[in-house]
Amino acid sequence: MRNASGPGFIAARIGQSLLVVALTYVFVYFILFALPGDPIGSRINNPLNPIPEEQAAAITAYYNLDRNVLEQFWISVTRLFQGDLGFSLATGRPVADLITQGLGETVALAAAALVLALALSLAIAAAAVLAPWGAVRRLAGAFPVLSLSTPSFLAGLLLLQVFAYQLGWFSSIRDEGAKSLLLPAVTLAFGVSAPITQVLIRGLRKAYGDPFVTVLRAKGVSEGRIFSSHVLRNASIPALTLFGLTVGELLAGSVIAEAVFNRSGLGFVTEQAVRAQDGPVVQAVVMLVAIIFTTINLLTDLLYPAVDPRMARRRNQRQPTTGYPPAAAPAIERPSTVSEALAR
Amino acid sequence: MSSPLINQTAPPSTRKKRIIEKARTTTPGDWLALGFLLLLLAAIGVPQLLTPFDPLEASPGNTLLAPTPAHPFGTDYLGRDLLARVIHGAAQTIGASLIAVAIGLGAGSVLGLVAAYFGSWVDTVVSRIVDVLLSIPGLLLSMMVVVALGFGTLNAAIAVGIASVATFTRLMRSEVLTVRNLTFVEAAHHIGARPATVLFRHVLPNSYTAVLSMTALQFGSAILWIAALSFLGYGTPPPHPEWGLLVSEGREYIVSSPWLTLLPGLVIVLTVLSISRVSALFHDTREVSE
Repeated sequence: MRNASGPGFIAARIGQSLLVVALTYVFVYFILFALPGDPIGSRINNPLNPIPEEQAAAITAYYNLDRNVLEQFWISVTRLFQGDLGFSLATGRPVADLITQGLGETVALAAAALVLALALSLAIAAAAVLAPWGAVRRLAGAFPVLSLSTPSFLAGLLLLQVFAYQLGWFSSIRDEGAKSLLLPAVTLAFGVSAPITQVLIRGLRKAYGDPFVTVLRAKGVSEGRIFSSHVLRNASIPALTLFGLTVGELLAGSVIAEAVFNRSGLGFVTEQAVRAQDGPVVQAVVMLVAIIFTTINLLTDLLYPAVDPRMARRRNQRQPTTGYPPAAAPAIERPSTVSEALAR
Repeated sequence: MSSPLINQTAPPSTRKKRIIEKARTTTPGDWLALGFLLLLLAAIGVPQLLTPFDPLEASPGNTLLAPTPAHPFGTDYLGRDLLARVIHGAAQTIGASLIAVAIGLGAGSVLGLVAAYFGSWVDTVVSRIVDVLLSIPGLLLSMMVVVALGFGTLNAAIAVGIASVATFTRLMRSEVLTVRNLTFVEAAHHIGARPATVLFRHVLPNSYTAVLSMTALQFGSAILWIAALSFLGYGTPPPHPEWGLLVSEGREYIVSSPWLTLLPGLVIVLTVLSISRVSALFHDTREVSE
């Protein structure tokens, strides 16, 4: 029997993640540069904004547009390993500079939004399961569907309208440091909290139905203690599987949040790059997000048995049922899209 | 805390009984949702019957009017009736979302079916494709496809469709894998049914219910993604009345005329809410899985 947390499993899981990242690079490259609508070509041949002859020649030479697709791909990969991400087609600046410049602001925004999303989900899930009034329980229980049905740009504009324009608590133009982080962070948190809330509600309900709660009550443990140190711990383990999904959604959502609140992070860089059909920048952003997403999923898979010992036991009993190599099979039920998280 | 087992009534046996039972348990909220969706269907099919105004005709004397009985949603910065624009926009937004879901459902079902049925290396290849598609968040993936294809309503729809292929593939694959190993499928093989017959007569109909209920959820997200893409300016170009674009146009006037942002936004929220509400109605008729 193979040990689920042994070196063999870890190596196989790391190998699988590296394979996914490599394949994603190939996929992204071929979508962006090998399809008929070639962004570099259309940039050079743009009738509205013609590029001078010699500059076009320089771009053609740098991207080797005169060679075939496979040769171009090989050159890009070689450059990638030398740390060269290429140049932005719209601004001519190195892609690496654009990314690092925007990254700090977006990481701060995403981190603030993550903390808010966890607090919001926990509060609403607790209200949906524990509130003594039926109306509050139903209202809180309806939150995931409501949050999922609201476009994040609308949520952002509403917050801006109420708190910045009507109440005047925030400036919509001036940078007020940490304070101006709040509204965009709430917008992002509202968007990503639906799956977490849903999973927490389900987990809390299930945990309260378990016999151990009756045992704890019979032993005279207080309700508050049962919730905080027993029920919540059980209920929040499944939410761990949503971590990768949530971070991915936060980074993708930052494009909209930063567009609504006129912030200049990675989301803004992405938004500008898509608008200008700036292939190299889009490629770098997509790869960065894919690498972060895959790494977090890898870490949650590896850490899961440590958090939930039952998982390690179950995984050891696993029998390979299909031709799928058992080491590469997803070890835990991990939803990778919001729809999947809600459909379960 | 009441156990879910106590509240469960035995599923009514015949189809007719089931429908009657369904109609009895339908709440007013469900009827509202159903009515709203019917209204949307009318807006897609016969928009000119619902509003006397032309969604594209500017009226310089009537710019930025607040909602009145004549213009229930007010008018925009060119004096165009906003309600007319929302009604005519339904075909744009919902049409694009339908195309997106059709692409995702079609490609996803075929890939999932093929992967689960043939197994071995086919399954490995499809599973790696799914891993790759899932490693990029949907909205970002659709933006990337838009960069490759160019802006426009159809391209945005294709992009959103490609972004939802993996979800359908994964679900279809797991459903088919479950059904394929059931005894009645084995029995069909043993009495000499051809593989295609087994696949389309026995496996497919029994694995499709879960995929269909996912379709409703995915349809809701498709509407939001399409609206987000056109809000950012990558989808339907102006002056067409796409919902996301309407919100984006209203944004310039959010301080003086907030209804230009609020009302089209509210229509998007109500549409997605109604779809999930109505799909839950149909979802319940299938057997309880938990």
